[in-house]
Amino acid sequence: MSRILALLGKELADLRQNPALFFPAVLAGGLSMLLPFFIAIVVPALAGERLSDSSDFEIALEMYRDQPRLRDLEPEAAIQAWIFQQFLVLLVLTPVTGAMSIAAYSIVGEKQARTLEPLLATPLTTFELLAAKVLGALLPALGLTVATFLLYLTGVGVFAEPGAFRALLLPASLAVVFVLGPLTSLAALQLAVCVSSRVNDARSAQQIGALIVLPLTAAFILQITGMFQLTVLVIASVALALVGADIGLMLLGIALFERESILTRWK
Amino acid sequence: MLSAAHLTRRFGERVAVDDVSFELAPGEVFALLGPNGAGKTTTLRMLAGLIAPSSGTVRLGAEVLSRHTAPRLRGRIGLLPETPGLWDRLPVRQNLLVYARLHGVADPAAAVDEVLERFGMRDRGREPAAQLSKGLKQRVALARTLLHVPDVLLLDEPTAGLDPESAREVRELILRLRSERRTIVLSTHNLDEVERVADRVAVLRARLVAVDTPAALHARLFGARMRVTLRQPAATFASVLARAGFRDVQAQDQTLSIAVGEHLASAPAIVRQLVEAGADVLSVMPEQARLEDVYLRLLEDEVRLKPDATIEGRRP
Repeated sequence: MSRILALLGKELADLRQNPALFFPAVLAGGLSMLLPFFIAIVVPALAGERLSDSSDFEIALEMYRDQPRLRDLEPEAAIQAWIFQQFLVLLVLTPVTGAMSIAAYSIVGEKQARTLEPLLATPLTTFELLAAKVLGALLPALGLTVATFLLYLTGVGVFAEPGAFRALLLPASLAVVFVLGPLTSLAALQLAVCVSSRVNDARSAQQIGALIVLPLTAAFILQITGMFQLTVLVIASVALALVGADIGLMLLGIALFERESILTRWK
Repeated sequence: MLSAAHLTRRFGERVAVDDVSFELAPGEVFALLGPNGAGKTTTLRMLAGLIAPSSGTVRLGAEVLSRHTAPRLRGRIGLLPETPGLWDRLPVRQNLLVYARLHGVADPAAAVDEVLERFGMRDRGREPAAQLSKGLKQRVALARTLLHVPDVLLLDEPTAGLDPESAREVRELILRLRSERRTIVLSTHNLDEVERVADRVAVLRARLVAVDTPAALHARLFGARMRVTLRQPAATFASVLARAGFRDVQAQDQTLSIAVGEHLASAPAIVRQLVEAGADVLSVMPEQARLEDVYLRLLEDEVRLKPDATIEGRRP
């Protein structure tokens, strides 16, 4: 554990010295946060119409009639709450897509900077190396997610209809932010680190790493189009599957990490 | 302390290291010489537990270096790779602190202070590594290999690209470490450096071409020679020694170079012959072995010395 912390400390210090590395994550997080405000508040205000005047959002009203804690919401507040809740998945996962470039660069970057060989000559095990690399990308992403969520919550409290922010404090919403978000991020970043340990240039790692965003985007689209709803049961099942995936990906990462190939064949 | 037994490493069809064996004692400086691609770095990596041999074993003390023991045994080894491998954005001190922690040093901050002091870099600790000159980077990398007080040091081209002053500092450090009974394996192309610091030399071209002390290798290849400096022109006295039965007597200016069987035993007879012939003898000394000649001759001929004496690489 102490060796993971030692290398993790280096990863975070490196990021502090070069915060621009995390700029894409901050930018993506900011944009994904603004998007629902634009849809729920800015566009209706510019059009001079209320969302509750349209029949397109009947699904939102029906959903909230079944929620004891939200049953008393005005129709406009209920629709806004639905929109803000739907975008929570995007909000939580966007910083991870930004952190993906850090993870994708993690191993191949050390190799290209010729810093990997002295690192591998220490008692550091493959598990410790990969764990530190994944955490080095995950922790800043999670920090950004939490910060974005708090800002989101504040924005909804200030700019949305009264009571709409309560939808973001439902157990399902909080589970998305604090359970599904971290577990999904962990899986995605582990996959990116695996990629980083198998390619021999940073550009390939980033391009392949970018593909990991696709299933996350698909999940968001399926959710917002009503293909599935994040009920507590769905969240628990997905969380369980993600825990399994995270363990499996770590084992896969260790199996795929070939010290010898990295040292002797990469140039 | 450190031994390699029949170490072989293949990369596909290519044999990078072929049946290499040697044993090193505590406090010994062992130099690996060989042309590019001779397997020096691969040998160092196998000794460091970074890559596994295709066959053969590496032992550190009584323990065999294996996939399972390597993480632990790497804690007793310090490796200096070909390039310093510092994290450029991080300050020097932080670079070293991370490694002290990775090696589980009890008081990392104190250990870092100690090596910075030892390498005269205490005032450079806060500087990002990127701002250091090549020589200073190499010094930090050397400091890094010593943080955990390893028993064995594996140095890959430690003075490559350094200015003469920095290179001398590195050589002095190697000699200090030898006096601390650390075992040092040095891979280099710098023959002058090897002559100054190495106890034994291994000439490698995938296989071990030869292993011995520089002087012994020279003696085996070229025979032992005695150098005599006279007040008079040497050519006058070359024939005197030849008539007395000495072989291969060469004269140049005021110096005679004579092939001898045994330095000490031959010296009195040479001096006696010269003085009787009227020569004024200014100095008599064994001729210094020129490692460059030895090295080039070995590689040209791939001379195989007797297995019991050299190829096995056991300490005399």
